[in-house]
Amino acid sequence: MKRHLRLFMLLCKIGLMRQMAYRPHFFLMVFGKVVRMALLLLFFQAVFLKIDRLGQWTFDQVLLLFATFHLVDYVMSITFQRNLSFHLPALIQSGNLDSRLTLPVQPLFMASLEHIDMMDFISFLPCLGLLGYALYRLDVAFTWLHALMYGLLIVNALVFLFAVVLIIATTSFWTTQSAGLARVFDDLTRVGRYPLDIFEGFWKFFFIYVLPLALISQVPSQALLGALSPGFLLYAVACSGLLAVIAIRFWRTGLNNYSSTSS
Amino acid sequence: MMRTALLIFRLALMERAAYRVNFMLQICGGILSILIVVFLWLAVYRSSGRSELGGYTLPEMITYLLGAGLINSFLLTTAENPETSQAIQDGSLSNLLVQPFSPYGLWLFRDLAGKAFLGAIGLAGYTVLAVLLNEKLVLALEPFRLALFGAALAAAVLLQFLVFQSLSLLAFWVENTYGFRFTMRVIMEVAGGAIIPLSFFPAWVQKVFALLPFTYFVYFPMRIYLNKIEPDEILSGLIRAAAWTAGLAGLNAVLWKRGLRRYTAMGD
Repeated sequence: MKRHLRLFMLLCKIGLMRQMAYRPHFFLMVFGKVVRMALLLLFFQAVFLKIDRLGQWTFDQVLLLFATFHLVDYVMSITFQRNLSFHLPALIQSGNLDSRLTLPVQPLFMASLEHIDMMDFISFLPCLGLLGYALYRLDVAFTWLHALMYGLLIVNALVFLFAVVLIIATTSFWTTQSAGLARVFDDLTRVGRYPLDIFEGFWKFFFIYVLPLALISQVPSQALLGALSPGFLLYAVACSGLLAVIAIRFWRTGLNNYSSTSS
Repeated sequence: MMRTALLIFRLALMERAAYRVNFMLQICGGILSILIVVFLWLAVYRSSGRSELGGYTLPEMITYLLGAGLINSFLLTTAENPETSQAIQDGSLSNLLVQPFSPYGLWLFRDLAGKAFLGAIGLAGYTVLAVLLNEKLVLALEPFRLALFGAALAAAVLLQFLVFQSLSLLAFWVENTYGFRFTMRVIMEVAGGAIIPLSFFPAWVQKVFALLPFTYFVYFPMRIYLNKIEPDEILSGLIRAAAWTAGLAGLNAVLWKRGLRRYTAMGD
């Protein structure tokens, strides 16, 4: 564990050195990402100029949901998302995965964290500011229990996303092409930016029980606002846990199926 | 000359068709994104209890979103294309410079081919969506309006190429141009009206956006399609889009000429 933590810090350092090699590019990308978030906020503000509530959600609550979504999204993109969605299929296709498998670390650790995106880490900091601003605006007395549940459900959201991304990436062992599917899932996760109240009937059911994207930001936000039932909390944790077990088993099967294609 | 251009166009089309599955998935992703936004706006109209918001009825808004999605996702994709800056950075521009046609023409026709390919596949995908949302769409069938819409779209395609090409040409001076193109794409999407009609923004924001060329990318063509613009405003809009095109073409020419003077390549 300690060794993996040390290795993770080293990978962060390497990531920063690699990305800082083009400093103007680095800061421009960070600027672009912050502008993107600001413009999306402007979009929500424009929408709320016309309405008071979106379903049951007020502007301040949507702000919390938006900040939570980006918090989870940034942690995912800093760590495992690009590694699994794009780098792993490329490694399998080229046969370069061999060199990773011979390293004295867990193959899944390297496959998930080899390239740490420090550019996104810097862009992530304003997102924390936005979360603080949303909490300040909400003017709700949060209990420690609510804050703890919020933290736990953020981790739960990351476990859920890791599992789905890993399942998609593992298909590369058979198809060598999973990047397209990963992009589709990335587009689909944007559902998490909006309250699920925008959906009705089948689609609401779908995003809660079939592909539970509600776990990304809706469930943690509801927990912080004290609007989450204990039953749903259990469902959320069980859902991510089960999916993680399936994903890891699938990954092991994929790895056993791997045959190098390099020369 | 025309034959060479057509050949470049055809080859680029074939090259893109080789990766059909990825494109189909890209289109699925684009359509899913638009569907999510359509759901959002259905909820916004439901929550407001009004039939018109920001001057748009619900069918007009859904038509706008679908049209904007199609234009933005499939036609205005040059931002992602690193071909020019890559050629300058890795020195492969040297090879292009000794060919009997201009590299600039090559990039332009390859870009047009990419847009035509994605546009055609995208249109097929969006047609399915349009059939599903049939009752909630505004269909413009007057030939004159469609012709004006087509002209505005052609201006958008050219303008967008020139904006991003000028950023790619900065590769003569800087090591990596992706940051510039990424930031511009982000601004373009919002200021061009790809996410929401610009009339929804506060007045001061609309004034700032009106100073930029992006308004001609999505907002202007879609307003023509939805008949939300006066004829004299269409004319002045087309003239302004042409002026932007001329200005940016001039800027591109200057950057290209000065850049080539600086350009050096090494290799074996």
